[in-house]
Amino acid sequence: MQLLNNAKQKMFLGNGNDAAAQAILDIKFDGEGYYPITPSSEVGEIVSKAVADGKSDISFVVGTSELAAIGICTGMALAGGRVVDVTSAQGLLLKAEEMPSISGLGLPMVLNLSTREVNAPLNIKNGHSDLAAALGWGWLIFMAPNVQSVYDMNIIAIKVAEAVGLPAIVAYDGFHTSHANRRIEIFENAADVAAFVGDKPARQNILDLEHPTTFGPYMNDDLINTKVLLERKMAKAYEIIPQIFAAYAELTGRQYDFVEVYGDANAESGMLALNSAAEAAKTVVDELQEEDKGVKLITPYVLRPFPAKAMVEAVGGLKRLVVAERVSQYGAANYMENEVGAALQKAGNSTTELISRVYGIGGLNFRPDEDARPMFELAMNWPNVDDSHKTLEGRYWGAWPGDANYHPPATLKRMTTEETTWNAGRDKIDLKELSNMPSRFEKHSACPGCGIFTNLNQFMRGIDGNVVFLFNTGCGMVVTTGFPQTTFKVSYVHNLFHNASSTATGIVEMYHRFRAKGEIPDEEITFICVSGDGGDDIGMDQLIGSALRNDPIIFLEYDNKGYMNTGGQLCYTGILGQRNSNAPIGKVVAGKQTQHKDIVEILRGTNAPYLFTGAESNPRDLIMKARKAQATVRNGGFAFGKLFSPCPLNWGSDPAMGNEIIDRLVKSCVHPLYEIENGVTTLNYNPEKVNAKIPVTEALKVMGSAFAHLANEKYAKEAEEIQREVDTRWERLKARAENPVL
Amino acid sequence: MSTYQLPYQDRRGFTNCLLSAIGGDGANMAAKLLFKIAAEELNLDGAYDAKYGSEKKGTPTDVSLRLCNFGTPVRESGPTNRPHILCVFRENLIRTLGLNRGLQEHATVIVNTCKSPEEIRDALHLHSGTVHVLDAGKIALETHSRLNMPMMAMLAHVLGFPEAAVIKKITETWPRAVEPNVAAYKAAVDQSVSKSFAADGKYQLAEPAEVRSAIGYDNMLDGGAVDTLTQSTVGRNNAYARSNPAPAFNREACIDCAKCMTVCADPGAIVWENGKMVGIDLAYCKACLRCVAVCPETKKGKALTDPAKEGVVTCSF
Ligand SMILES: Cc1ncc(C[n+]2csc(CCOP(=O)(O)OP(=O)(O)O)c2C)c(N)n1
Ligand code: SF4
Ligand code: SF4
Ligand code: SF4
Repeated sequence: MQLLNNAKQKMFLGNGNDAAAQAILDIKFDGEGYYPITPSSEVGEIVSKAVADGKSDISFVVGTSELAAIGICTGMALAGGRVVDVTSAQGLLLKAEEMPSISGLGLPMVLNLSTREVNAPLNIKNGHSDLAAALGWGWLIFMAPNVQSVYDMNIIAIKVAEAVGLPAIVAYDGFHTSHANRRIEIFENAADVAAFVGDKPARQNILDLEHPTTFGPYMNDDLINTKVLLERKMAKAYEIIPQIFAAYAELTGRQYDFVEVYGDANAESGMLALNSAAEAAKTVVDELQEEDKGVKLITPYVLRPFPAKAMVEAVGGLKRLVVAERVSQYGAANYMENEVGAALQKAGNSTTELISRVYGIGGLNFRPDEDARPMFELAMNWPNVDDSHKTLEGRYWGAWPGDANYHPPATLKRMTTEETTWNAGRDKIDLKELSNMPSRFEKHSACPGCGIFTNLNQFMRGIDGNVVFLFNTGCGMVVTTGFPQTTFKVSYVHNLFHNASSTATGIVEMYHRFRAKGEIPDEEITFICVSGDGGDDIGMDQLIGSALRNDPIIFLEYDNKGYMNTGGQLCYTGILGQRNSNAPIGKVVAGKQTQHKDIVEILRGTNAPYLFTGAESNPRDLIMKARKAQATVRNGGFAFGKLFSPCPLNWGSDPAMGNEIIDRLVKSCVHPLYEIENGVTTLNYNPEKVNAKIPVTEALKVMGSAFAHLANEKYAKEAEEIQREVDTRWERLKARAENPVL
Repeated sequence: MSTYQLPYQDRRGFTNCLLSAIGGDGANMAAKLLFKIAAEELNLDGAYDAKYGSEKKGTPTDVSLRLCNFGTPVRESGPTNRPHILCVFRENLIRTLGLNRGLQEHATVIVNTCKSPEEIRDALHLHSGTVHVLDAGKIALETHSRLNMPMMAMLAHVLGFPEAAVIKKITETWPRAVEPNVAAYKAAVDQSVSKSFAADGKYQLAEPAEVRSAIGYDNMLDGGAVDTLTQSTVGRNNAYARSNPAPAFNREACIDCAKCMTVCADPGAIVWENGKMVGIDLAYCKACLRCVAVCPETKKGKALTDPAKEGVVTCSF
């Protein structure tokens, strides 16, 4: 191997995501497939900024889901591209189907995994359950315990990946590393990174017309042989990783090993931990040493291939080893516990006792004094420790039983059908009378001026009787149900980002079944799904599925033109040229590059009985549509409504201006008010007839900094394109409204 | 190299600062800038860790900044739970969050408030240390900068950062808003009022906050479900989320058009009884002023108005 000496380094201040993004830019990938998810979203945002400013020529493509993003990466790699992706948690699991395909196809690439717990109830914080799921996917796995190593491991990972023909994950702790700002060193010249990584090795690829190749044939008994290929590649990686680590150390002075051992090599007690927890524990190892209590800390930098030999050596003569994991295999020994145990057993070590602990999940920190020290003490004192440490519950570090005397009084009463019936038998909309409709939700923690609950408040005034809500992941969900409290006064369920409509289908099926059999009270319930526009990117297939099955549910989309909960990334609904956190206004690219998605027209093709748009500026119209939606589900049909919803935070708009903004969007026909009943289109408001039509720029200019630039001279071309698109759609809509067969 | 000395050092060599604010205050940016000054101008090392979560405007958030001399290992992640320096962007967070917990003895406390250092000490139950108070909202308004600038300035000041280093970084970071930001910096240092309190036994030191709630594995509903009737947000108070005064209501001018009811972003804030608008429930209202924007001009004026327009000082609501 060619060794380069001492490439110049410079100071870099940033968090783990900044470091990953910097490495991506320094490596100079050909492409990145992207879909946002906390806590990894920033990585793509930083890359997109570099692209917008002309500082990077990487092909940066935002998918409709994580599965789409990794599929895009697969395609790029099949075409010979050097590619990268980032994700976390649910995002990784959504990619799951593609992951073994990528390793099976032998495509090198890097996936940055900012780890996060996957669970219901939803949690966005650290946990290694995503990482654990990936252990058997045939991907190389590198661990980055701190911000510095996030940068370094990215560079090392692509080199190893390309050398053996396998994809690689670089795993760093969500929030604890992704959002930890530190002072680190990076290469002063990206050219040195390029020199270290080297040229892309020649690889069979789909663009090679001289050698036409079939990738991904259908295979039966032969498949076992592909497993040998994978195993051999892992074996080769095991051989070359130490050399690549050494070469990197030569260049940077930063040395990595399969397994790092920290502390007293001859200690009897030790702890094994991954990533940021191991970093935090080092301090305590030093302090215990000063107290003459030598302990050993073990942390692997590589999980795949599993460095069994190095691990056995690291354990050495330990009598007791606490194996601390940020994940649990309920009902079984834990992941690392199993792997380390098996390695020790094969090596003939039957004296080291492994003590499993599950810690730091879902945001619990791992602190030197409160966590690391007591864990080392546990190893030192075992088995002479308090019995509570030996129970099932005791394995879950920091879990608590709760207060047995806590019996909070009821602060609400069940809502009755009588008190929530204010629409039945009325033709007109009387807002004064409807002020009597009790709200189905209470205080929430959305930003001041957020449009979500304005919309829902208006809509729900038109819905009588019992209601069950189903929310997709998004702001609406996050600001209402922070445990242990709930904003909802009626039953509610959240099940993933994109599954509300399918979940509703299941619930409504059982509701009708049990009601027909007399197994539940004979009371009407209206099931209402609420989703952001992002939920209808990633969940478009499931939404269309519900519409095609004509399931009797109401589905509301609050369209705030972005993925607001994760920090304002672009949604396919976004306006051409709109500024998003992953589509910034740069020197060479300005904002979102495509026109806004039209979900109602997409759904028109399902022939669902009732589709509509609504606007808070026209409350009577919206409440009337709520009544019609409820009538539709009473008739056994599917109803969908799209409601435009201001997001003052991510639009940068005046919170007080929400109603005015929506009014202008309606009058400019960006958001025309109409409904489709059994295929027949009705315009509910035609601004042309009342001389109220305005150009799109009149709306865009009051919508905050995400849009307002589009009303400036500099972006006249974009504004013109938006206007043309809006005009075309408006003309088509009018034609449909005039002709019932269109 | 400078002769800068950290104002505090715990046994691992760190000065721990905690910035407590609400989403939108810019606490993150303040900490980021201070970290930059520390590393780039003073050759310090350290860490700044933002509170993790979905950052909605108006929800409590905190940022931790830990500084040490270069060469001290920086290994722990997550926010400090034992601050030496506490910087509070919204006075009402002191009580809501119990900010005295984990605060070290001889602490330094900076609070954006109109109250006196003595009143703040009592509100905080400060064991000992120095309290600096300033009306950061007013300074921001007067200097056309943002709330985080005077707060950052005071923090830089108590950290003992040389003024030249701070102004240099402000200039680099906001080249187009140097004047207002520098003015805010200077005004904060000039206008703040400080007082020191000895460990006189008036208040005890408090241990860091624990995450444990009353619900644990023995009494949690299956699957972590929430019992609607007993665990509702009905009793909550949204007051801390207001960064400007709530609207004023004049029943005389109201024509019961219900526009406010249809636009309110925190439904429940607009209270109707018997088909009449009767007022605003401040436990809901986040002062977005959507209702003020739509309330019609009647013969008797507008029923809903923005009191800030009548010149209310920033910390008096
Ligand atoms: C499979 C999956 N991918 C990504 C996420 C992260 N995520 C949570 S909410 C969200 C954006 C939601 O956008 P939208 O539906 O428009 O609702 P809003 O946040 O605007 O309210 C994303 C990307 C997730 N929870 N699950
Ligand atoms: S970020 Fe936007 S959509 Fe989310 S709560 Fe705030 S204003 Fe509403
Ligand atoms: S908008 Fe103004 S006038 Fe209309 S009901 Fe509300 S307070 Fe009264
Ligand atoms: S200021 Fe906003 S939250 Fe308060 S009552 Fe008016 S609309 Fe509702």
